[in-house]
Amino acid sequence: MKNKLLYLLVASGLVLGSCQKSRISPSPTTAISDLSAFSTPDRVLNQVRSLYSNMRNGQFYGGRYVIYNDIRCEEFINELTNGVTGLEVWNGTLNNNNNQVTALWAQAYYVINLCNVFLQGMSNTGNTVVGSTLAANYNGEARFVRALCYYSLLQLYARPYYDGSGSRPGLPLRLTGNSGAGDYNLARSTVNEIYTQILADLNFAETNVPLTYTDAISTTSRAHRNSVIALKTRVYLTMQQYANVITEANKIVNATAPFAAATGVAHTLQADITNVFKAPYTTTESVFSMPFNANETPGTQNQLGYYFSKSFGNGEYSLNPAGIVADAGWTVNDKRRTFNGTVGGKLYLNTKYGAGSPYTDWVPVIRYSEVLLNLAEARVRTTNAVDAQAVALLNAVRNRSDATVTYTVGSFATATDLINAILKERRIEFLGEGLRSPDLLRLGMTIPAKTATSGTVVAIPPSAPNYIWPISASELILNPLCTDN
Amino acid sequence: MRKLFLLLCGFVFLAVQAQAQKTITGKVTDEKGNPIANVSVMVKGTTTGTATKADGTYSLAVPASARTLVFSYADMTPEEVTIGSQVMINSSLKAEDKSLSEVVVVGYGTQRKKDVTGTVATVKGAAVSNKPIQSFEQALGGRAAGVQITIPNGVLNNPPVIRIRGTNSLSLSSYPLIVVDGVPTFTGDASGSNAAGNALASINPNDIESIDIAKDAASSAIYGSRAANGVLFITTKKGKLGKARVTYDGWAGWTTVQRLPEVLNAQQYTDHKNLALVNAGTYNAASNAFYTSLNTDGSPIDTRWYDYVYRTGFSHSNNVSVAGATDATNYYFSMGYTSQQGIIKRNDFRRINVLGNVDQKINKYLSFGGKISFSNELNLAAASSGSLNGEAFNTAGLGRLAFLNAPNVSPYLPNGAYNINSSGLLGIGANKQGQVGLYNPAASLDLNRSNSENNHLQGNVYIQLKPTNWMTLRTVYGIDYLLTDNEIWSDGRTGEGFIANTFGGSAASSYSKNKRFVWTNTLTLDKSWGKHTVSVLVGNEQQRSDNVGFGLSRTQVSDPFYTNLQGGFVQAPLAAGLGIGENYLLSGFASMKYNYKNKYFLSGNYRRDGASQLGANNKYGNFYGASLGWELTREGFWEKWKLDKAFSSFKLRASYGKVGNISGLGNYGTLSTYSAGLYGGFATLAFTNAGNPSLTWETSKKTDIGLNIGVLKDRFTVEFTWYKNNIDGLIIAVPQPPSAGLPNSINTNVGSMYNQGYELTLNANVVQGKNFTWTSSFNVSHNENRVTSLAPGVTRIIASTSGLESPSITLPGYALGMLFVTRTAGVDPATGRRIFINAAGRQVFFDLSAPTAAQRYKYADGSIAPSVGSQDAVIYKNTDPHIYGGFDNTFRYKGFELNALITFQADFWVYYGSYAGLRDQRYWNNSTDVLRRWTKPGDVTDMPRPVFGDNISNGSSFPLDVNVFKGDFVKLRTVTLAYNVPKALVDKARFNSIRFYISGNNLAIKTKYPGPDPEVSSNGNGAINQGVDRNTVANGRQITVGLNIGF
Repeated sequence: MKNKLLYLLVASGLVLGSCQKSRISPSPTTAISDLSAFSTPDRVLNQVRSLYSNMRNGQFYGGRYVIYNDIRCEEFINELTNGVTGLEVWNGTLNNNNNQVTALWAQAYYVINLCNVFLQGMSNTGNTVVGSTLAANYNGEARFVRALCYYSLLQLYARPYYDGSGSRPGLPLRLTGNSGAGDYNLARSTVNEIYTQILADLNFAETNVPLTYTDAISTTSRAHRNSVIALKTRVYLTMQQYANVITEANKIVNATAPFAAATGVAHTLQADITNVFKAPYTTTESVFSMPFNANETPGTQNQLGYYFSKSFGNGEYSLNPAGIVADAGWTVNDKRRTFNGTVGGKLYLNTKYGAGSPYTDWVPVIRYSEVLLNLAEARVRTTNAVDAQAVALLNAVRNRSDATVTYTVGSFATATDLINAILKERRIEFLGEGLRSPDLLRLGMTIPAKTATSGTVVAIPPSAPNYIWPISASELILNPLCTDN
Repeated sequence: MRKLFLLLCGFVFLAVQAQAQKTITGKVTDEKGNPIANVSVMVKGTTTGTATKADGTYSLAVPASARTLVFSYADMTPEEVTIGSQVMINSSLKAEDKSLSEVVVVGYGTQRKKDVTGTVATVKGAAVSNKPIQSFEQALGGRAAGVQITIPNGVLNNPPVIRIRGTNSLSLSSYPLIVVDGVPTFTGDASGSNAAGNALASINPNDIESIDIAKDAASSAIYGSRAANGVLFITTKKGKLGKARVTYDGWAGWTTVQRLPEVLNAQQYTDHKNLALVNAGTYNAASNAFYTSLNTDGSPIDTRWYDYVYRTGFSHSNNVSVAGATDATNYYFSMGYTSQQGIIKRNDFRRINVLGNVDQKINKYLSFGGKISFSNELNLAAASSGSLNGEAFNTAGLGRLAFLNAPNVSPYLPNGAYNINSSGLLGIGANKQGQVGLYNPAASLDLNRSNSENNHLQGNVYIQLKPTNWMTLRTVYGIDYLLTDNEIWSDGRTGEGFIANTFGGSAASSYSKNKRFVWTNTLTLDKSWGKHTVSVLVGNEQQRSDNVGFGLSRTQVSDPFYTNLQGGFVQAPLAAGLGIGENYLLSGFASMKYNYKNKYFLSGNYRRDGASQLGANNKYGNFYGASLGWELTREGFWEKWKLDKAFSSFKLRASYGKVGNISGLGNYGTLSTYSAGLYGGFATLAFTNAGNPSLTWETSKKTDIGLNIGVLKDRFTVEFTWYKNNIDGLIIAVPQPPSAGLPNSINTNVGSMYNQGYELTLNANVVQGKNFTWTSSFNVSHNENRVTSLAPGVTRIIASTSGLESPSITLPGYALGMLFVTRTAGVDPATGRRIFINAAGRQVFFDLSAPTAAQRYKYADGSIAPSVGSQDAVIYKNTDPHIYGGFDNTFRYKGFELNALITFQADFWVYYGSYAGLRDQRYWNNSTDVLRRWTKPGDVTDMPRPVFGDNISNGSSFPLDVNVFKGDFVKLRTVTLAYNVPKALVDKARFNSIRFYISGNNLAIKTKYPGPDPEVSSNGNGAINQGVDRNTVANGRQITVGLNIGF
């Protein structure tokens, strides 16, 4: 009895001590190992979508990037003096440590690295796993996303291209995938070098991404040939390379009204602009947007509606009564005025993003009307005349929202008048869509002063240090080769 | 290990023989008259001795000077016999009653306190029982040297901050390992709601027999990789020999809030805010002004929000136990129920628990036993207290709402509805303002729920085989299941549940399941040969823990009728609280204890652990500890020098060892992984974790040198220990340049720091009269922490409070978690402006009312200065108390008993962040301090000229030195006056014992700290952001009356 028990005890102890050794290296059941992330076509495709979904992060294109580019300019007035919701962006007092400065920088570069890791993984194994056609598509999409990230970072953290033709400090140019600790010191390339890479990526993307997708959501939220071209028109416009804008735009805009893309996704203006900002958000006018739904929301204090709408959000920013809304040329008949609403005595951009909680408004990144106005502006600037096609393009955008205004060549005395009208149209058309700051900066225009109850923000001339953002403090600390603005 | 063995052998052969002049013979037997072999027979104070033979007889030649013989044997109470003229001395040894003699739990066994050479502090269960607490460790403060307990706030069942000899990690937990009856249990806040849910509250303090705290490496190394923070061994009660004894313990008590800051009343508020508006130049009677609202009867509204948030809480506790033991069986059963109300309305704690402990001897060789404990705890709250970790800036935080909301508006509208505006915030009343408060706490406290329920099952079964009296084989299988249900409901009429233009409302419920099993197999050998006593332990152990969590959240009810998750909702439900994981620890261990004639002591511990949480290249580690002790009173010279008259004990001891820490390390953090998401309804997969396959334990190398002195038969005892703990390989999430685009900072073993200090414990039976006794216990500890290195590229770690404010900094050359604040130089008497001192050391004057933003900051000469902010912060003061301890006195006079425990902490500083809010010049209500405001040139005051909207001058925007205060305190922690009904009366009533008592907790505090309580933490158990008091609810003050009856 005694011995048997003893043996049993010792034996069971030994057995137990050894039999569960595999448990020492458990695999998570909710995350996929880096070793098998490229092992099936589905995983590769899912990774492609993750590039977009991380760009859609609330800190970036999911909201804040777009919001920042509006609120740092003159159209919006800060109502709640909340540092978390962009007070310092609005009043131009950002410093390197500011969360807005560090978080957007980090998120954009996270997406860039995802693209780099993906491109590397594709060349290692992924291209073989999915086959050459899909591989080309996917690589093109990744380079499109990377290009858009670099372009967006340039708009906030670097001097505009016009300043020294891109010779000023740009960004650390990261093109290889990073997956572990390492030496990541890297100096900033010039603005021009970054644009060169952006265009290289977009040119690659243009010839490799598909013409369209089989479903409406993907067509609006993933890169296809026409959306790549549309982005190129924006990039060239920012670089003031107007001839290239025309070349690119002509690929997706026919010569006369009604303007539309002849091949690929049939982009065209919607008759009623308010339909663009309603579910399902997938009209042919939306060239590229960030999708949201009840399961995928921008996150707290990142949502456009939360910032701009008083009725359906938190009313963080009202419309500046001295801004574009005061312009007499923007008539009361204009459909775009219906986006505005007065609540508590103040005017808000109330319903452009009016889905309300949980904030499922899609974020517009590129709309077809922008391509038309990009082309219009480029034509005037290259011809230096009241260009007929430019007028027709401008009129297409204006007239569809305001039937009482029809522009003809006779409406404009000089080319400058026409350019000013186009720029004004952009302020109206893209109010709250994040284009205001890039539009001011690409032309070296002063950011006008603005006044709120809490105080006045003085005008910021192009020479001022706060014309652009400071570089992220964490970047400066951890990457000593990187210099501040 | 091998070296240790050789050393031991050396020791054994060192024994020397002494010259003999007289021979004594005799026989040693046990209580039943059976002879005992191998009993040590020694001449006291010498090395002369022998051992009994198999028949129990001995023969020993002793010198003429020999006076006393000492008979000792393992597990027996030693006996001393005066030799005199006797030549034949028989001895009958009694089995040592371990429940009576002082033993300490040392990991996989017990040891006589006298034999311990490591540093172990013991706290008796009585110190934590019958107290108005939720978990036992809340009552440990001041009870043991080297153990610092901070009760972070007055939220019920919030885990206290426990530090054994300082903070031992920067990124991992510094919480000690808690071993309950041999099974390591779950610790920390298990709740997923705004109610705190300390997992340790499942142990009814009244069921605890003792708490042994292993502090040094020698006593904790047997727990290897988890021992760096010290080990707390909790032993629950067992039956005592004799017939069944039934006891009842009950108490009832009241708890009240204390030391709340004084805030402005309605009229003061209205006047002050209007003055601030005038100063800002924006006052406009019609559109930008404050007005005191009126009740329907025309009287002014004056709301004291404290009255809507705080209350006098009533609590009670009832425990019944049945315990007893026979030679073969030992049992203890208990049941407890407690219902406690906190100082915050709707913050309740209820626990019902049962415990059964049974040990059964089957025969001479075999015994088995087990324990089962089940506890159900309800942790209830209505809303966020703003006091738990991460909650400091919650819009809903009740601690802050109580002093922030405008006093000149009512919580209710005249029609009885809640005063809430169209954004879900407190309505503005008659004020001409956009906002005069955050949420309306009256609504939240009436309508919302944020509850958590724990079901906690702890049990174990063991079989023990003793084939000989010196060998024990034991296998123990233990389980620990902690199941938590969270239920949160936010009504649409409250700020938490408000959604514009809808009925609002949101509900979230989640369930989390933590399961652990521990299987331990040990072989123990206890053997004495004459002068030598050896105890050897070898064993293996495996511990597996897994957790699963899931839940659902829903928003926007379809009808205000619905008030729970199961009701009707407009929006699609979302997943909440998802989690799944497992970890595994596989260990082998050994220990050896040896003593030579109870004079020289030696012990060694070794453990090899493999942990699943670590990097693939570094899963296994070796840990060890060793100690030496020397009992001087056993030396011949001691008696010769007549020192034995004074000293009953004089033991020198030293220990050294290496232990580890992985507490709080994620299950899979060392792996590089991709995780799923959605994009437009389609699946995604993204690189989300960059791992480190080389990640391993944090390593603590601990040295202890100590002295234990007993004077006058241990009537007075002194214990002094000096220690140093060098910690290497601190895990730091080393950030890479953001432009490298890695998803996370990568955990790397890089940092180092040390804790060094000393501990002194004095115990005294000061008076031992027949009717009057006075026992006194004092302990004081000194600890110095120093960070010696961080990581390449990490020159400092700035830690935030709830992500919004960063008043804490850790960097080499300083203690961890220093306060990091911007300096000020008072208020300019000429202009009333706040004077800051910027990073360059220049004075900068701030005036929010300057015509333009650029002109707000100026140098003394009037030139424009760059704005001041957190970039101008300096390393300011330490937050870790250098000195802490307790002073406990018990006086007994006949049946009366008075006990008082005083605790103290000194030489540390607290950032009273709430002050920044209390002096914020936005619409927030202010402390009455602002009535000292600057009003005219020449005023010398600390309160700047109020300018409406100014959240900078007083520290809301970035932390300031003016809000840092010395935290030193002395607290009258508990006072208990008890009366034990005289035996005669008790017998008459056929009871065994009856005791009444009245007790007070936190009755008095002596401190210069201006906040409610310097014993505070806004950041829970955070390692590097202690010493922050931001919008925290203070600790309550309790009075209880109680009754203990033995039947």
